[in-house]
Amino acid sequence: MRRAILVGACLLLWSQLAGCVTHTQPVELFQLTEESPRHKAMQTRFFETKDEAELLSASAAVLQDLGFQVEESVQDVGFLRATKERSAREYGQDIGRFFAFVLSLGKLIMPVDLHQKIAATLIARPINPEATRQEVRIMFYRVVWKGDGQADRQYIPPGQQKMEMLRDPVMYQQFFAKLSKAVFLEPFAL
Amino acid sequence: MRAISGIILIAGTLVLQGCAAPEPSQDLLAPTEAQMKIRSVQTRTFDVKDRQLAMRGVIAALQDLGFIIERANEPLGLVTAARFAEPNYYDVVGVTVTVRQETEGRMMIRANAIYNNKPIEDPKVYQNFFATLERSLFITRE
Repeated sequence: MRRAILVGACLLLWSQLAGCVTHTQPVELFQLTEESPRHKAMQTRFFETKDEAELLSASAAVLQDLGFQVEESVQDVGFLRATKERSAREYGQDIGRFFAFVLSLGKLIMPVDLHQKIAATLIARPINPEATRQEVRIMFYRVVWKGDGQADRQYIPPGQQKMEMLRDPVMYQQFFAKLSKAVFLEPFAL
Repeated sequence: MRAISGIILIAGTLVLQGCAAPEPSQDLLAPTEAQMKIRSVQTRTFDVKDRQLAMRGVIAALQDLGFIIERANEPLGLVTAARFAEPNYYDVVGVTVTVRQETEGRMMIRANAIYNNKPIEDPKVYQNFFATLERSLFITRE
């Protein structure tokens, strides 16, 4: 009976994992999709200013205010990359881990998200030949590392990685609200 | 009994054979025809006067495609970017683009893409990339 439950739980977990693996082919990844313009609109704002350097340094300051560390900057092409590392613990996952532990009679300890790195890349560039109007585009993404776990006698080592783009519009609105305050300019979307 | 020892012998030799590392061939670094072909697929020339303008176009095109710009080097004309193979977050596509001046007013742009550390040799990938780049450069020049 116990073995049957265990086998059932393992099969269930395995089928769940197998369902996740769908490989997107590289050809599709080099094509614009239906969502591309929507993402672009969310990530981009325009500013009426000539001073690209000022816009870039204000962006760096805003990212610092948000707790980011600037890791890379190239002024000639208006590029900034910043990251911050935080804990990724969530109660929901711990509760799920507990129930999986009980239901599998102590055989299964699911790995939970432990640590995350949130990163932002930002590009500022002039969009007209006279360079009186600048475009700022920022993208947020994160990498999450899982802790260790155990499935029956098999130890699951920590460090499994998961990466995702952050597409919450509120995050982008907040960033641009702070940036416009920093440069005393009203941003606009086309 | 004899059959079993025979099987063990065969298995043993197979295992041992697996240990011999293949010798690197002499022409490992010599250009092959396939390499020349892939280079022509990866390269395209555009009528752009300013190199910085071309680089900004490359960056914009990559961002439109959802790539994360990781590194840029203006003096060398280098841009490195990556993206996750959405909707699954375990595969990574990386791309390095170099912008070099070929002649006055013409820029040679070369893209190298890798998928999970394997080079992409499908010409369709590069065609798609250059199509997006062309659009981006065109809009930039407007």
